[in-house]
Amino acid sequence: MNSVGDACTDMNCEYDQCFNRWFAEKFLKGDVSGDPCTDLFKRYQQCVQKAIKEKEIPIEGLEFMDHGKEKPENSS
Amino acid sequence: MKIWTSKHVFDHPWETVTTAAMQKYPNPMNPSVVGVDVLDRHIDPSRKLYSHRLLSTECGLPSIVKSISFTNMISVDERLIYKPHPQDPEKTILTQEAIVTVKGVSLSSYLEGLMASTISSNANKGREAMEWVIHKLNAKIEELTASARGSIRTPMAAAAFVEK
Repeated sequence: MNSVGDACTDMNCEYDQCFNRWFAEKFLKGDVSGDPCTDLFKRYQQCVQKAIKEKEIPIEGLEFMDHGKEKPENSS
Repeated sequence: MKIWTSKHVFDHPWETVTTAAMQKYPNPMNPSVVGVDVLDRHIDPSRKLYSHRLLSTECGLPSIVKSISFTNMISVDERLIYKPHPQDPEKTILTQEAIVTVKGVSLSSYLEGLMASTISSNANKGREAMEWVIHKLNAKIEELTASARGSIRTPMAAAAFVEK
């Protein structure tokens, strides 16, 4: 998929492939240790965050992302 | 301010649905989504995976909303939670919520009504899109299972990234 920043599309794609592989081969099998995509993600983020700032896209202030304030529930 | 919430049951197991959710775009039901970016992703201490994604879309808004907004920027923030169905492990429950803001200010209740029906119809397309992606993944699995017997990878694992 294209990125919001044109320069970031290739990195977006590369990171996506890495994530999909990790998701299927590790996460879905209960293995949440280690993330082989960290470096890719960092480089991709530098590009995307810059594009978001330049385009003045408001991404702050989401009420949803409770980040653990929610009572933990049982889920896979 | 939530303007829309919905619950939906997929007739597929959680692993299939979440894999499809990660690869939802592009799909023919949501042609106005032209870009997807991941802004944050992490696993919390209770082992829940959070993905914060930015969808870039073209048009798709009712013209009255466009003419009223001061800028051409409308934010639709959505939360989607996928959980295995508590009574049936072959099914998945999706809970969806949406908040709409125009440049930092919540919409009036009139505009909320307009947006809510747009979001609702988009959500129906979104579910069709999920079924489309799931069908594609399952078809890939069958293909791989038939042609790659003896492979140590599970078919879903191979199908999940072979598309790209």
